[in-house]
Amino acid sequence: MTSKGCKELISEVIDTKLCALCGACTGNCPYLAYYKGRITLLDNCSKTDEAQCYKYCPRTYIDMNGISQKLFGTSYGENEIGTVKDVLMARAADVSIREKAQYGGTVTALLSLALVEGLIQGAVLTKTSSDKSPAPFLAQNADDLLQCAGSSYMACPVLGRLNQIDKIDCSKLGIVAMPCQVLSIAKMKAEPPQNRVSIGNVKLVIGLFCTWALSPDKFYQFLKENLELANVRKFDIPPPPANRFDVYTASDRSSFPLEQIRQFTMPTCAYCLDMTSEFADVSVGSVEGIEGWNTVIVRTDAGSDLMERAKKKGSLQIDKLPAPNLEHLKEAALLKKKRALNEIVKRSGDKKNLLYLGLSPQLTKKLLA
Amino acid sequence: MANIEIDAPGTSQLLIGNEAIARGALEAGIGFAAAYPGTPSSEILGSLAQVAKKIGIYAEWSINEMVAIEAAAGASFAGIRALAAMKQNGVNVVSDFLANLVMTGTGKGGLVLVSCDDPSAISSSNEQDTRPAAKWLDIPLVEPGDFQEAKDMTKWLFDLAEEMGTICMLRSVTRIAHARGNVRLGELPNKPRKAHFEQVHDLRNVMPTTFIPIPSPFRHLLLHIKLDKAREKFESSPFNRYVGPDKPELMIITSGSCWLYSQDAVEALKLKDRVGILKLGTLWPLPERFVIEHMSKSDKVLFVEEIDPFIEGNVVELAGNFPPNAARPVFYGKRSGQINAYGELNPDMVIKAIANILGLTYQPRDIDYSKKAEAAAKSNVPDRTMTFCAGCPHRATFWSIKNALKLDGRDGFVTGDIGCYSMALGPAGFFQVRTMHCMGGGAGVANGLGKLGQFGFDQPVIAVVGDSTFYHATIPALINGIYNQSKFILVILDNSATAMTGFQPHPGTGITAMGEPTKVVSMEALCRSLGAHVEVCDPFDLKATTNTLLKMMTEDGGAKVAIMRRSCELVRIKKEKPPYKVHIDIDKCIGEACGCDRLCTRIFLCPGLVWDKKAGKSKIDEVICSGCGVCVDICPQGAIIREAA
Repeated sequence: MTSKGCKELISEVIDTKLCALCGACTGNCPYLAYYKGRITLLDNCSKTDEAQCYKYCPRTYIDMNGISQKLFGTSYGENEIGTVKDVLMARAADVSIREKAQYGGTVTALLSLALVEGLIQGAVLTKTSSDKSPAPFLAQNADDLLQCAGSSYMACPVLGRLNQIDKIDCSKLGIVAMPCQVLSIAKMKAEPPQNRVSIGNVKLVIGLFCTWALSPDKFYQFLKENLELANVRKFDIPPPPANRFDVYTASDRSSFPLEQIRQFTMPTCAYCLDMTSEFADVSVGSVEGIEGWNTVIVRTDAGSDLMERAKKKGSLQIDKLPAPNLEHLKEAALLKKKRALNEIVKRSGDKKNLLYLGLSPQLTKKLLA
Repeated sequence: MANIEIDAPGTSQLLIGNEAIARGALEAGIGFAAAYPGTPSSEILGSLAQVAKKIGIYAEWSINEMVAIEAAAGASFAGIRALAAMKQNGVNVVSDFLANLVMTGTGKGGLVLVSCDDPSAISSSNEQDTRPAAKWLDIPLVEPGDFQEAKDMTKWLFDLAEEMGTICMLRSVTRIAHARGNVRLGELPNKPRKAHFEQVHDLRNVMPTTFIPIPSPFRHLLLHIKLDKAREKFESSPFNRYVGPDKPELMIITSGSCWLYSQDAVEALKLKDRVGILKLGTLWPLPERFVIEHMSKSDKVLFVEEIDPFIEGNVVELAGNFPPNAARPVFYGKRSGQINAYGELNPDMVIKAIANILGLTYQPRDIDYSKKAEAAAKSNVPDRTMTFCAGCPHRATFWSIKNALKLDGRDGFVTGDIGCYSMALGPAGFFQVRTMHCMGGGAGVANGLGKLGQFGFDQPVIAVVGDSTFYHATIPALINGIYNQSKFILVILDNSATAMTGFQPHPGTGITAMGEPTKVVSMEALCRSLGAHVEVCDPFDLKATTNTLLKMMTEDGGAKVAIMRRSCELVRIKKEKPPYKVHIDIDKCIGEACGCDRLCTRIFLCPGLVWDKKAGKSKIDEVICSGCGVCVDICPQGAIIREAA
């Protein structure tokens, strides 16, 4: 399909600031590398036919409909929050997980269960190191998982770590990913890549809700200049109308106005359609107005199976998501799609450029309205 | 190397030009020799150092050419005959000392400077003719035309230097220095001189201890008197001679290796009875009467010499002083376009020039033949670009430099210097080196670049020097960078040898030219004492080296030093067995597929790795692979396997 390679990836995605730092092009490619918030071409690669860096990038041509059909058997865009088997509200039953978690600890609890149950042997996650910079990490036990709990709100190239995993050593993998990363994984699932970790090994994709991510370079610099990072325990963006970015230390909370933080948003996030990681097995986010709980969207059989086990084993406390919350979630998800499509048209100056998304004409029309 | 101290007068030895010069120096009773290695001069001191202990002379590899010539002058002041040898660039380095030395004169020991030029810059950063230096520095200059002359002239030049009380210069070129021919040996003296620094006034040789009361113009006048005396000697020198008809149609004036090319050309054209060759051995001051006498035999003169029109200019200048109505020949050479003012000459070029002037047609050989000869020559040479040896630590270092500069992302670059690593201008070092001038020049250039922050410059600058180059000419630039807080990283490629010129020792190696153990001058201790932040890296640890460089690039402050320490592979291999046995796991090697695209044989380019086109896999060339194991760490698929050997 594509006859493009790393040169085009650089010129069309990276130089244009459309790179989401998902990491999909790194890890098992010796030419492309991630360093401090940037993908760099180290040497020229001559591959153009089906170069995987270009092909699996979430910002290059993507057949949303085709992927949706392949993964779920449904066409894309029928529901604002993607294909849904169930929408719930949940939190970890284990208080020690909840204490460490961003919201309800659902992700940690689910992964912990998947490890215990042998559904996965390890999970690729984002770990915030002691200096608060995010880095990909392969968690292989409960302790590892707990170390990865909580969010730094910064983009992190976890797919690069996924690409490095030995095909033989880890045959059952989980991953926690942002919507852009889930999109790349979906591309891989639809057309499995060569010479990488077998995408069939990825047994569980937990997608996170995301409105935008912060630049791991510029935002980290900002944090370093304004905070004693070693003391930071947690970052949080409380739901509107708070408009704050909160930083918790062991004893204290300080805040930055959200506007100040927004300047560090990755430019690419303005062009992202997906708020709820629509191609994941399970998507997890916060619940507006209900502190300490997660919204959980179950999308696939693997997702259902895991939630069933969680219920049976008591790993999660599960409840119904209140109807107004679901409505609000859908509204927000639709708003992100509309905003993104309009941004793309605005930037490219041409509706034809939306062809790269492979959306149906009806959906395009609806979203641009 | 040949045995240059054999005491068998009258017998012939097969010597390269440099050995012949060294033998000439021995026959002249030399007591002191100093040099800094540089192709094509290195074998002069190399062969002297080998025999120095046995025959009771002193020989050293000096830290640089400047110290070499100064040390040799010191010996001369104390009455010991002394020689300093260097390549063309060395003459530039020592010119300030020479410009002062000619004013004071030398001591009672004759002092000879041997300058070896490298026309076509076969092993040099530049192409340069050092003969004009002799003219502007007022130094008597000779040039041997063959191997016998290389020896005889050197011996004779010491006598002249001693008699004149001034330094004399012998200029040689690659094709004399490195070619081999029969040399009839002369006698070796057996009475060593006693060294003593005479602190008395000597008008003939204006000694440095007494030069203060003598005004410079007067000393300059004395120097010109010396030169006139030398000219007078040159008029009857046996090293200048004419061979040819009494009234040649064309007179070739030539010297050095071009004399040999001229003889071949005349022979090939069968023009011995029409073309004469005036061969000059003493070039400056020009033996004017001798030249005029022979030049007047013909009305056409062709100058055959390499690089600059040195003889041509001086002879034309001489003809300019002829009386107004005197006959002047037509001059052919570089000005008229028959001879190039760049690159080496060869007999073909001289044939073309003669044929052009005399209106002859000459087909040197048929075109098919030359194509066939070229193909035959190529079939014996592996088809690869100039590169570092298998296992060379420089390849690993430049890999890390490349990746660190790319990852840093601020368009950083490397200022280069003189050594094997100059090849990093090309694919061997992944095209990382962007500037290359003279010894120590890269660090100097980096000093300027590193101070441009106020003009918006934020590109990281890495100055790369070899260990020998560091001691030679980089230390002042480093001190400047620390004192003036210039932001750059000095990367010292410490492979524990002056590798490019043949592994001569330097102050970091702990051994002298004569094979004696000595104190190591520690480069890290030196740099730290200057206040530099110093890191010592193992270039074979690609990850750690890259990270160290990345970190240093973001640090504030002035010049920093990163020492890449790994022995030159050619040195190591003589002492140790290969550390690893390396092979390719062909199941893991994905060759040209996405995820590799032949990184090892397309980018890394170690000659130990070869591409098996048929199998679509990489292969280890077991003959060439040195077992360093570095490629294991660049293979993205983990397909290169190393096992302890």
